[in-house]
Amino acid sequence: MKTRVIILIMLAGLVVVFGLLGWRLFYLQHSRIEHYRDTSKRQQHAVVSITPRRGQILDRHGRVLAASNRVKTVFVEPRAIASIDDVKEIASGLQLIVDIPGNEICGMILDSRNPGFAPILTGVTPAQSETIADAGFVGVGVQSNWRRYYPMGPLTSHLVGLAGVDQSGLEGVELKYDSKLTPGKGRDVFFVDALRRPIGMKDSDSAGTDGSNLVLTIDSTIQQFVREALLKQLKAYQAESATAIVMDPWTGAILAMVSLPDYDPDDCSKTDPENMRNRAVSDTFEPGSIFKPIVAAIALDEAVLTRTEKIFCENGYYAKFRIGEWANNRYGDMTVAQILTESSNIGMAKIGQKLGPKRLHDGVKLFGFGAKTAVDLPGETRGVLHPPDKWSSYSVTRIPYGHEITVTAVQVVRAFAILANGGSPVKPHILRAVVAPSGEIEELYEPAGLAGFVVSTEVANWIVREALTSVVNEGTGTAAAIDGCDVFGKTGTANIALASGKGYDTTNYTASFVGGAPAQNPTVVILVSIRKPNKALDKGYSGGRVAAPVFREILEKTLACLENK
Amino acid sequence: MAHMVEDARIFDAGRLLEVVILVLMATGAVFVFSAGANVSTNYDLQRFYDFTTLKQMLFFPLAVIAMYVASMVDYRRFGFGGGAIRSLTPYLLVLSMILLAAVLVPGIGIERNFSRRWLGVWIGPAFVTFQPSELAKWSVVFALAAFTSRFAQSMGRFWKRFVPPCLVAGAIVGLIITQDFGTAAFISLLTFLMLLAGGARLWHFLTPLPAVAVGFYYAVVTSPTRINRVKDFFDPDIISHQARQSLIAIASGGIWGKGLGRGVSKYGHLPEDTTDFIFAIIAEEMGFVGAVGVIVLFVAFVVLGMVIIHRCRDRFGKLLATGIVLSIAIQAAINIGVVTVVLPTKGIPLPFISAGGTSMLVSAAAVGVLLNIARGGGGLLSCDQRIDLLEATAIDSRSGGGTG
Repeated sequence: MKTRVIILIMLAGLVVVFGLLGWRLFYLQHSRIEHYRDTSKRQQHAVVSITPRRGQILDRHGRVLAASNRVKTVFVEPRAIASIDDVKEIASGLQLIVDIPGNEICGMILDSRNPGFAPILTGVTPAQSETIADAGFVGVGVQSNWRRYYPMGPLTSHLVGLAGVDQSGLEGVELKYDSKLTPGKGRDVFFVDALRRPIGMKDSDSAGTDGSNLVLTIDSTIQQFVREALLKQLKAYQAESATAIVMDPWTGAILAMVSLPDYDPDDCSKTDPENMRNRAVSDTFEPGSIFKPIVAAIALDEAVLTRTEKIFCENGYYAKFRIGEWANNRYGDMTVAQILTESSNIGMAKIGQKLGPKRLHDGVKLFGFGAKTAVDLPGETRGVLHPPDKWSSYSVTRIPYGHEITVTAVQVVRAFAILANGGSPVKPHILRAVVAPSGEIEELYEPAGLAGFVVSTEVANWIVREALTSVVNEGTGTAAAIDGCDVFGKTGTANIALASGKGYDTTNYTASFVGGAPAQNPTVVILVSIRKPNKALDKGYSGGRVAAPVFREILEKTLACLENK
Repeated sequence: MAHMVEDARIFDAGRLLEVVILVLMATGAVFVFSAGANVSTNYDLQRFYDFTTLKQMLFFPLAVIAMYVASMVDYRRFGFGGGAIRSLTPYLLVLSMILLAAVLVPGIGIERNFSRRWLGVWIGPAFVTFQPSELAKWSVVFALAAFTSRFAQSMGRFWKRFVPPCLVAGAIVGLIITQDFGTAAFISLLTFLMLLAGGARLWHFLTPLPAVAVGFYYAVVTSPTRINRVKDFFDPDIISHQARQSLIAIASGGIWGKGLGRGVSKYGHLPEDTTDFIFAIIAEEMGFVGAVGVIVLFVAFVVLGMVIIHRCRDRFGKLLATGIVLSIAIQAAINIGVVTVVLPTKGIPLPFISAGGTSMLVSAAAVGVLLNIARGGGGLLSCDQRIDLLEATAIDSRSGGGTG
């Protein structure tokens, strides 16, 4: 009897123990599951991040300016190779596939500074890569990376800019719109064994999303001949640098923007960093005479003078303010139209005096000088426009003909676009649309329509249709004229201030021409500005001589180009 | 009398127990195969026997055969009813001790993980290893059942009835303890339970207690790994790698599990995944439901064992069945306790499920004996012998009564 009871107690006790173990299991598998799942993820998961394609950059007609492609690199992991014999074996095996002499491959492996990665050949073909995989060398791998291509080369270098090896934007639109271009990263989460080898089961994956594509307002055809014309003149005059901008005056869309010297974005490792600067937005200069129509328009708009009013131009020397005329011309009484046509400094100085510092300053400010235009390119500067309380007694006579003020090329183009469209402000821009990888348009920059006036339409139209047309037809800008089309424009030959800040360099000038056509209803505004043409060549250095012919060539071709659309 | 009992049976406990054991073995075969998955394994039939998982598949039918054969041997042949010389048990004991001694001889015993526990024999092309401590465990259980039933009336006597079995068990434990602490401790526990069930007085156990305690303390202290295991277990901040990996495997399975074959821990994260920690893999892949299913099978085994013990009319059969049920069920409980980290880590496999041929075959044979008890004996003995044995038992009972 006793034995039976003891046996019963023992076995019943066992059943109870099993029950307790079941309860323990329930605690672990029900109440502690989250805690241990998190712990397990850290050791059992491996994450491979996937970088989809960076967005393309296209011109307004869909021509590719920047694109990313996959490129395969065969590499060796030197630390994974045990002996020198193995190195030789790998080298002799690889030389047949990649067509590089074996001894060179040996050198690449043995001299590699990185023990984990010695690239042998970048850009292997799919067939080569397959052969390498089939050969099954230990310590040899093929890596697939994105590479950014710029098929237009230097043509759009300053606009499109650059993306680095990590596919992030460094310059230009690549930098400005990096967040739109950058793809959404994907990731594969694998289960791995204790040695972190994948076991062929995925926990989760996401492919990520390709970056959005950008369509620019740039027309690469126009860009092409703008660059050609400018480069030709830059070389002919041995100038230091040059910029040209072509803009639609009604929308502010930039059709072309060239800054020379430029660089090849596909091969810029040895480029002088100076060349990588987009001078059209980042460099400021004293505009000189191209500034005169702006001030004339302000004065007419403020009604401090009339179109017919005669201004005495001191016969060539305004002693009180020590102002002379271009080429020592001597002018007497002239209307504002004549002052612009002949580009009289003294006449403009007197108009400035009529306006007075405050109205002059505010007018110039309204045209957008002394402030960023907010063009969508990185590195823009604002230029210098001092407030009137900092002006000297001469300032009010200097600013009207474009000195004691510095501007950027894009500010000047914008100001002339305002005149050309009848006085309304526009925002210079380079992005036309953002297009999703699917082809759907995500953002479209439609011209919002003009609103508000900087100067009255009447004044703006008169300046463009009358005053600036006669500059081209009979004044300093005749080199810009085209048969059968009313061209308007203004020359400028500006002194360059010495770096010391005291006085001007007497041998170097900025030769500019800004204008557009057709005068009655302008479709384009163009600025050409060439810095420091070599005066010693004796071919001339003025805006009318150096910049106007380039302007004319660009204008002619641009008009033809726009007509064909 | 036996016929009357048979008629009264509502169900055949032996048959059901057989089913439970076969399901456990099948589960073991499936999960050893699953847990054996490995990233770099290349199945090469020439090396068939080298793969634990495939080897285990081979053991399943072998274990079934062992169980069947053992069930054909009349269990009374293990008892001392016909005299100790005619019983199989003493030979088992002697064989166990010889093999255990042989294991300790360097060069004969095979060492794995710093423990010498295995003997190896070439059988044809296959090198078969054998763990004598598994056999020794069963011989102790059989011997104690035989001894305590043979001297049922005089078990109250300390020197004549308590000390001798303790010495025999102690000798076997002593041979095992240096190489396999877990099994030695387990045999000690079984000895205690068998003697208690067999009629030894409680105060008997107080006498060897100091010796056992000293031995236990010495065994723990001399082995740094054992100290660490015990220390780690009592320090709530430190949890050994093995234990943590086991908890990760179990808990991440959740209620329904990750699915058969879809566990991750078996890929090197959980050491001993096919052997001592296979239960964690079952819990990971089949979840709470599957793991409890396995526990329920063991509970069913215990309950059916109780029915068999209850129905057995013979004292030796009762004690032997108790020993078999206890030894398998306690082993299972300890293993699951270790895997779920309620007990410190010990090298005790989960019966019928963990990979390991010796344990599987010997346990199956023990269950075969249990099945024979369930049938009420019979099998490979002639009718005459059977009557002799029954008479011998009766004589023992009388003489036992005389001495008591």
